[in-house]
Amino acid sequence: MPQTLYPRGTVKKIVKAHANRPLSKNADILIFLKYALFMQEVLKEAGIASKRSGERGVSARSVRKVREGCLRKFKG
Amino acid sequence: MSESARKKQRVSPRISGDATDHSSTLYNDLHRLASIAPKPVTPFRRAASAGITPRSATIRTPGTARTPRGGPATRPLPARRAAPTTPHAIRALRERANAARTPGHVRRRSGRVQRETPRDLLRNLSRVLARNTQPIEPTPKAQQRNRHSALDLPDIEDDEPTAPRLSMPLDDMYDDDSFNEEPPRPSLLAPLPDYDYDNGTVQSVEFGRRARSEDPRLDRLFGRRISEQFGDLHDLTINGEEYELDGNFINRRGTLLPNELLEQVEEEFEEGNTEAEIRALTGRARASDTGDLGVFGEVEGEEEEPTFRFEIRPRIEKPGEDEESGEEEEHGDGEVDDNTPGELEETMLEDDDEQPALNLVYDNDDTAPVLASDNENGPLEIAGWESEPENLDDEDLAAYRGEVSAIDRSLQTPAPETPAKRRAGRQRRALNISRFGHEYPSFPAATVKMLANGFVKGQGSKSKISKDTLEALVQTSDFFFEQVGEDLAAYAGHAGRKMIEESDVIALLKRTRQVTDSSTYFFLAQKLLPRELLQQLRMQPLPKLKRQKRKRMEAIPEEDGDDE
Repeated sequence: MPQTLYPRGTVKKIVKAHANRPLSKNADILIFLKYALFMQEVLKEAGIASKRSGERGVSARSVRKVREGCLRKFKG
Repeated sequence: MSESARKKQRVSPRISGDATDHSSTLYNDLHRLASIAPKPVTPFRRAASAGITPRSATIRTPGTARTPRGGPATRPLPARRAAPTTPHAIRALRERANAARTPGHVRRRSGRVQRETPRDLLRNLSRVLARNTQPIEPTPKAQQRNRHSALDLPDIEDDEPTAPRLSMPLDDMYDDDSFNEEPPRPSLLAPLPDYDYDNGTVQSVEFGRRARSEDPRLDRLFGRRISEQFGDLHDLTINGEEYELDGNFINRRGTLLPNELLEQVEEEFEEGNTEAEIRALTGRARASDTGDLGVFGEVEGEEEEPTFRFEIRPRIEKPGEDEESGEEEEHGDGEVDDNTPGELEETMLEDDDEQPALNLVYDNDDTAPVLASDNENGPLEIAGWESEPENLDDEDLAAYRGEVSAIDRSLQTPAPETPAKRRAGRQRRALNISRFGHEYPSFPAATVKMLANGFVKGQGSKSKISKDTLEALVQTSDFFFEQVGEDLAAYAGHAGRKMIEESDVIALLKRTRQVTDSSTYFFLAQKLLPRELLQQLRMQPLPKLKRQKRKRMEAIPEEDGDDE
C-alpha cells in the first residue's frame, strides 16, 4: 500500500493533455483510484500469466501479455 | 361430464343474447352451429371402454379411468378388439398407444385431442375469430330511414361537389413558374456531382461516410466503434491517397508513440510461444484500446483477419527497412514534407501525409527521443498498409521481403529494447505529446514501483519488481491514462461540460463495474488509497455526493426509457 501521496499534479497534467479538458478539484483522486485498481488488476493477471509460463515473480513479458486485456477491461 | 355441462351453460345465454341483439358475426354463427352439432360423446366412449376392458372390474367410477394405469391403457384395448382395418383407425390406434406412454401432463393434452368433436372444433374456431370480428351494424340504414327523406337527399347532393380538386393549382404553378425552377438547379447541384467525380470512382454512398472520417473529433470519440470502422475502411483503402484530409489522420497514426510500444509487444509475442492469432488479437486490441490512433485503428480493423495480418507483417518490416535509412534523415530534418526522395511514389504520398499536420510539432520536439522508434514503426505501419498494391506488382519484391522479414526479426528483437531504454531514460525528462498537441510527462516510475510493489506483496510473492517489468508497467500506465483521459473527455462532453468532474470518473468506475450499488467508491478508496487522499475525498465532495445520488436516481428511469 502506498504510504505517500502520488504526484497529483502529474496525473492532472497527463489526463488533461489526453482529454483536452480541465479537471475538477478532486477528480484526479478518483482517477488515481481507478489507476490503482488497474494496476492491481494488471499485476494480478501478470502474476497469473507468469506463473502459468513458469516464471518467477512478475516479468515484463507477462505484463505486456496481460495489459491489452486489462486495458480493454478498464475501458469505459 | 362436468365439462359438457359447463359448455352448455356458457353457450345458451350467449345465443339468447345474440338473438336479441340481431347482430350476426362469425363468432355467433359458429356458436350456433356448435350448439346444433352433436355434443361430445366422450363419456359414452369411456363408459363403453371401461365396460369392455377386463380391468374395468377394478375401476369403479369413470373418473378413475383417467388415472395413469386405467385411463389411457384401457383405451387402446377396444381398438385392438376391433382389429383396425382402415389407415385412419390404425393411426388413431397408434396415437392412443403413444398417449399411454406419454407422461402425465402431456397425456392430458393428448386425451383432450382425442375427445375433440366437430362441436369443439367450431367452438375453438369461434374463439379465435371472436377477437377480430365485430357485429355488423345495419344501423346507418335504419337511421336514414328514420329521418325524413327530404332532409337526406340534399345532404348527399351537397357532399359530392364539395370534394376539392388538388391537381388544379399544381398544374398551373408548374406551367407558370418554369423559369423559377430551372435556374436554381444548375447553380446548386452542378458543383456537387463535380466534386464527386473529382473524388474518383467512389460511389455516392462513400461520400457521406468520408465526411465522418474527415472530422477528427468524431474519430477520436467514436473511432473504435465497429460500425464506423467499416465505413472508414472503405474510404481509406480506396481514397486514402487522394484525400489530404485523410492524410491528417495518417499522420497521427504514424507518429503515435504508443504504436511503437505496441510493436514491441508484438515482436515479443512472436519470439515467445504466442501464435499468429494472438498477434492478430493484440493488433486489434491496440487499435481499439490505445485510442490515440484515430484512423490507425480503423486501418487495423481492416487487417483484423488473421491471414491478412500475417502477410502484412513481413511487408511492413522490409519496406520499413528500405525507407528507414532514408526516412530517418528526413525525420531528423524535422519538417520534410516535400523533400522525400521518393523511390516509390506510394511511400511518397504516405510521407507527405504523415508529416504536414502533426509531425511538424511532433518531430520537432521529439526527434531526438523518438527518432529510432518513429522510423521503425511509423513508416512500418504505413508501408504495410499501402504496400499491398506493390506486392501485386513485383514478385521479386515479395521474395525480397520474405527474406528480409526473417532477418528483421532477428535484427529487430534487440532493436525494440534499445529504443525502449532510451525512451525510459528520456521520458522522465522529455515530454510526450498528446493528440491534442499538449505536452505531458509520462507517469513517474517511482509511483508505479511503489504501487506495484505494494500489490505484489499483497499477492504474497516475495520478489520485487524488476527494471524491465517496471518499464512495461510505466508504459502500461501511460496507455491507461490516455484511455482514461479519452473516456472522461467523452463523458464530460456528453454531459455538455467542459470540465471533467468527479461524476465522470464515477461514471467510468460504474461502467466498468468497479463501483456498484453495493460497493461505493469510498470502499475502494479505503482499500487502495492512502489516508490523506481519502480524507480529501471525504471532506470536500460530501455535499456533492448527495446531489450525485439524486442525479443517479433521476437518471435511472431515463435510461430505462431509452432502452425500452
